[in-house]
Amino acid sequence: MSERALRGLAARLDARIPRPEDFDDTLRGPRTAARIGVWLGPAFVLCFLTGLFSHALQHPGSFPLPTGPTRLYQVTQGLHVAAGTAAVPLLLVKLWSVFPRFFERPPLAPRRLVLHLLERVSVFLLVGSAVFQLATGLANSAQWYPWRFDFIRSHFAIGWVAVGSVILHVAVKLPQVRAAFGAPPETRSARAGTPSRRSLLRTTWLASAVAVVATTAVELPGLRRVALLAVRSGTGPQGIPVNRSAVGALVADLAVDPAWRLKVTGPSGTVELSRDDLLAMPQRSVVLPIACVEGWSASGTWGGVAVRDVVALVGGTTSDDVTVRSMQPRGAYRESTLPSAWVARTDSLLALSLAGEPLDPDHGYPCRLITSARPGVLQTKWLGEVEVVRA
Amino acid sequence: MRAARLALGALGLAALAWGLLLVADLGPQVVDVLVWVVGGVLAHDAVLAPVVVGLGALLALVVPPWLRPPLVGLLVVLGPLTLVAVPVLGRFGARPDNPTLLDRPYTTGWLVIAAVAVLLTVVAALRARRAQLVDETEPRP
Repeated sequence: MSERALRGLAARLDARIPRPEDFDDTLRGPRTAARIGVWLGPAFVLCFLTGLFSHALQHPGSFPLPTGPTRLYQVTQGLHVAAGTAAVPLLLVKLWSVFPRFFERPPLAPRRLVLHLLERVSVFLLVGSAVFQLATGLANSAQWYPWRFDFIRSHFAIGWVAVGSVILHVAVKLPQVRAAFGAPPETRSARAGTPSRRSLLRTTWLASAVAVVATTAVELPGLRRVALLAVRSGTGPQGIPVNRSAVGALVADLAVDPAWRLKVTGPSGTVELSRDDLLAMPQRSVVLPIACVEGWSASGTWGGVAVRDVVALVGGTTSDDVTVRSMQPRGAYRESTLPSAWVARTDSLLALSLAGEPLDPDHGYPCRLITSARPGVLQTKWLGEVEVVRA
Repeated sequence: MRAARLALGALGLAALAWGLLLVADLGPQVVDVLVWVVGGVLAHDAVLAPVVVGLGALLALVVPPWLRPPLVGLLVVLGPLTLVAVPVLGRFGARPDNPTLLDRPYTTGWLVIAAVAVLLTVVAALRARRAQLVDETEPRP
C-alpha cells in the first residue's frame, strides 16, 4: 500500500472516530468532575487507610497496634466496604463526565506528545486500578472469586497503585479543581430535556447513599431490614453468621471427637487439656463482635478461659506472643498469632460457649479464639494447638 | 500552591511506584492481575460508556424533554446499584454448607428498590410535565 493510500485510510478512520466536540458537554467537564472528585478522592483515601490498617492487623510486627476499643475493627472495616461501595456511582458519573476527552487526538509536537502520553498512562493506571479495586473488593465481600490471582496480595498491591494515582491526579488537576469551584453548580437546566448540574450531582450523591444503605446497612440497627442487597442478613447459629463452616473446613468429625485435647506448649513444657479441663478453669464472659474483612459484623456473648490463664500453665507470660492452630487441614487462616498486647487483655478468650450454649460446630466447637478489635479471619476456630512464642 | 502540588505529586508518584513494585512482586499471577486491570478499563471504555452514550442518544430521539431528566436520574441511581449488586444477584459465592452467606432474596430486593425508584421517577416526571403545561398555558404579558 502506498503512503498516499495509507494517509487516505488514516484520514477516513479519523473522520469516523468521534471527537471531544461531538459530545454534548452541557453537563460534562471539569465543573462536574471536580465536584464529584472531592468526594471520590477522600473515599479512595479512606478505603486505602482502613485497608492498610486491616493489612497491618493481619501482618503484625512492624508497629504497635491498638487492641481496643473492641468495636474498632468493626468500624474501620465497615467504613472500608461502605466507602468502596459509595465510590461506585461516584466513579461512574465522574468517568461519564470526562469521557469525551478519551477521543482527544494526540498533539504532534514531540514535547507535548510525550506529556500527552504520560497523562494517558497515568489516567489508564488511575481508571484501571480504581475499577480493579472496586470490582475485586465487591466480589470478595460476596465470597466470589472469578479469578486465579491471590486476592489479598493483589488487592493490597493495586491499592497502592490506586491511591498513588489518585494523589498524582489531584496534584495535576488542582488548578482546574480550584477554577471549577469558582461558582456554585447551575440550578437551572441549560436547556429543556437536560437536568441541571446541581440536580445531576444530587442524584449522584443519592445513588451513593442508596448503594451504601442497600448493601451495608446491616450494621446499623433499625436499617437492617432495608439492607436488601447485603451479603448476609446478619444472623446464623447462636445469632452470628458463619464465614467458613465445619463441613467446609473439613473438621466436622474432628470437632466432635470426644478424644479431643488442646495441646498447649510453652517454655516450661506441654500440657494437654480436655474440654472438661478447660471448663474447670476460671471462666470469663465477654461481649465481642466478630467483624469480618467482608464488612459484616455481629456481636455475641462468649464464655471461656482467658488466653493468659491457659498459657500461664506452661510458663507463658503477658509479654509473649501466642500462636494458635486450628485442626482444619488446610486454608490460609488455619493459624494465627496473637501479639502480646492482646495476650495481656483479660477479654482475649479461648471460647467454649456462645450465647450461653456450647459453641455451634460452625462457630468452632470445641474451642476457638475470640479477641477484641481484630479481623474475623484471625479468630481461629476448631483449635488444636496453642503455642507460646517468645516475642 | 506550586509547592503543594509538587509535594502532592511526589507523594502520589512514590505510592504509585511502590504499588507497581508490589505488583511486579506478585510473580506469575501478575499476568492475571493485568488482564483484570486492562479488562476493567475495556469494560468501561469499550462497553459501558458507549452503551450509556447510546442510551443518551436514544433518549434524545424518542423521549419528550420533560421526561428526560427523571429518566437520567433513574439511570444514575439504578445503574451503579445494579453493578454493585451483581455478586449477590448472581449468588456466585453461595456454598451449600453455609446457609448464613448470601441469605437474602436478592432478586426480590432489587425489584423492590427498582419499583420504588420507578415510582419516584414517575412522580418527578408528572410534576415536570405539569410545570411545563402551566408554563405553556400562562398568558404572556
